[in-house]
Amino acid sequence: MSSVNDAVPTTIIVAGLVLAGYALLMTALNRRMGGYLLVALGVLEVLLLVLVGIIVAKLVGGGRPSSLPTLIGYLIAMPLVPLVAGFWGALERSRWGPAVIAVAGLVAAVLMVRLHEIWAVIGV
Amino acid sequence: MASPPASTRTGPGRLLVAVYALFALSATARAVVQIATEFSHAPVAYVLSAFAAAFYIVATVTLAVGNPAARRIAVLSCSVELAGVLAVGTWSLADKATFPDATVWSGYGSGYGFVPLVLPVFGLLWLRRWRRRA
Repeated sequence: MSSVNDAVPTTIIVAGLVLAGYALLMTALNRRMGGYLLVALGVLEVLLLVLVGIIVAKLVGGGRPSSLPTLIGYLIAMPLVPLVAGFWGALERSRWGPAVIAVAGLVAAVLMVRLHEIWAVIGV
Repeated sequence: MASPPASTRTGPGRLLVAVYALFALSATARAVVQIATEFSHAPVAYVLSAFAAAFYIVATVTLAVGNPAARRIAVLSCSVELAGVLAVGTWSLADKATFPDATVWSGYGSGYGFVPLVLPVFGLLWLRRWRRRA
């Protein structure tokens, strides 16, 4: 079970970086937001929600990170990042829409590293 | 469907507002947690973090609003922000005792990929394009 739990943060890092790379490519090619980007963002959102569930389960099981307020902040932020970025990026009719999505992908990857720093049991 | 008129929040501004919003949220959250839970550990550093957060909030809101008055405030805010990153960055390197923990502007924002250093520069460059517009 713990190997499944470890796989989720790593998958999110990979998914976030792939999303960022793809989105930056769209920006470089002067393409606007398209369906594929939104689908990829949706996949990231699902992964983040799964991770939130895993972390909540660990908390309920009695585990505690080095900083609980920080962890709770991350738990709230994680599902919101793709949603807010998707909304804000989709409003943009130019290449800069995908650029916003790239930020979301990078943020997701960075959040995984920060999570591991405050609670090593969240493996990456 | 006609596209909305250009403003500081469209085009490249879309990305700028997104990054400023991200920093506004994370710097504010971090400052609140630091000041609420361990203020005595590094009071100067944490107050500076809160100060930085305030500037990120102002930049986000003024760039998103985009009218001429907001743009003037944004130029002022980004200028002070840039001066702040440079000053706090230098101070944090020269006086490590005052900065036991990393803050947003420590080491010129090295803990955040130096984004805090380049962000106000891009902000000011973007605002420069709007100088003559009504």
